[in-house]
Amino acid sequence: MRPTDRHYLSSHEWIKISGDNAVIGITDFAVEELSSGNEGDLVYCDLPEVGRNLEESETFGEIESVKAVSDLNTPLPGEVVEINSAIEDHLEILSDDPWDRGWLIKIRLADKDTSKLLDAAAYEETLASHS
Amino acid sequence: MNDWRLITTWGSPPSFNMGLDEALLENLDAPPTLRFYSWAPDTLSLGYFQRYEDVAGLERAGAVVRRLTGGGAIHHVHELTFSFCCALDEPLYRGKLADSYVRVHEAIAGTLQNLGLNARLRGDSPLRSDCPDTGMCFHKSTPQDLVWENRKGVGSAQRRRNGRVLHHGSIKLKSSILDTRIATLESLKTEIDAAQLAALLLDTFRSQLGLSFEVGVPDVHERAMARELGTRYLDPAFLRRR
Repeated sequence: MRPTDRHYLSSHEWIKISGDNAVIGITDFAVEELSSGNEGDLVYCDLPEVGRNLEESETFGEIESVKAVSDLNTPLPGEVVEINSAIEDHLEILSDDPWDRGWLIKIRLADKDTSKLLDAAAYEETLASHS
Repeated sequence: MNDWRLITTWGSPPSFNMGLDEALLENLDAPPTLRFYSWAPDTLSLGYFQRYEDVAGLERAGAVVRRLTGGGAIHHVHELTFSFCCALDEPLYRGKLADSYVRVHEAIAGTLQNLGLNARLRGDSPLRSDCPDTGMCFHKSTPQDLVWENRKGVGSAQRRRNGRVLHHGSIKLKSSILDTRIATLESLKTEIDAAQLAALLLDTFRSQLGLSFEVGVPDVHERAMARELGTRYLDPAFLRRR
């Protein structure tokens, strides 16, 4: 089971809310899909500028592996207050720890309504369709 | 299973080719679509994140454009270009990302084997066409790549957005001044052109992938989107974004 302290999108982003802020990343499944377990297969990650306002579901970045370029989407709207710049130079962090050290951006939430998001169990169900 | 729409356009400019592919990806209502196309003038396409300066000799191509898909650069001349665009729940793209490459490449391999080429997936062995630091797609290989004569013969890259996929591919009829040392169809006893190869691939996609096709064209909405999106591919700022 994936961590139950956060919510998910079917496009494999997670969001962990803490007070008025939230941290956003991508799941282990997304990393595995892009890299097939070979961390060298992840080649580039483009993150937004601090201060950018993100609408619900808006694309905030892009990640490339040798297999595909994929958009990164925000589960909830808000202003970007911090990015994990270490990721851009050390993509292996995503493979090592997608749930904690592999966070991508922090946002100040404009809306905390998680009713449209998936909990861990619902996200697991969506993954079943990938097998 | 959905019928796939087949759109064929020969000798189109890079802004049209890339604009239409992006329109098909953006149109959430589009039926699953397979395009066969070629380019005029001959065009070097950069991968989405490639640095412009990292591809030596690109000024030798008739035009340069940046693709929406990732990977390395391809010199689009003497080739059949294809793109699959559909929702990720289509059977061809459902499941693991790497498996989608295997399905498409094995179908292409079936066509090429019928022509007499020993086409197969690369597996774990490096290739004679591997050549670091040129920035060219055909000079870098993965286990899922399609090879013959120990050289890479199909360039392939995907973009995934909004639950949809755009899968670009290039099959080389001949090598070019920038795509050297690669596998091509020049070793066949009989010369084959892009249209003939497309027809043979369609037969295999039907028989091996179980797809059915209806010949079609972009609808009015897609044509308008393609024109609008195509302007970005003419913009030097986008071309040199990295």
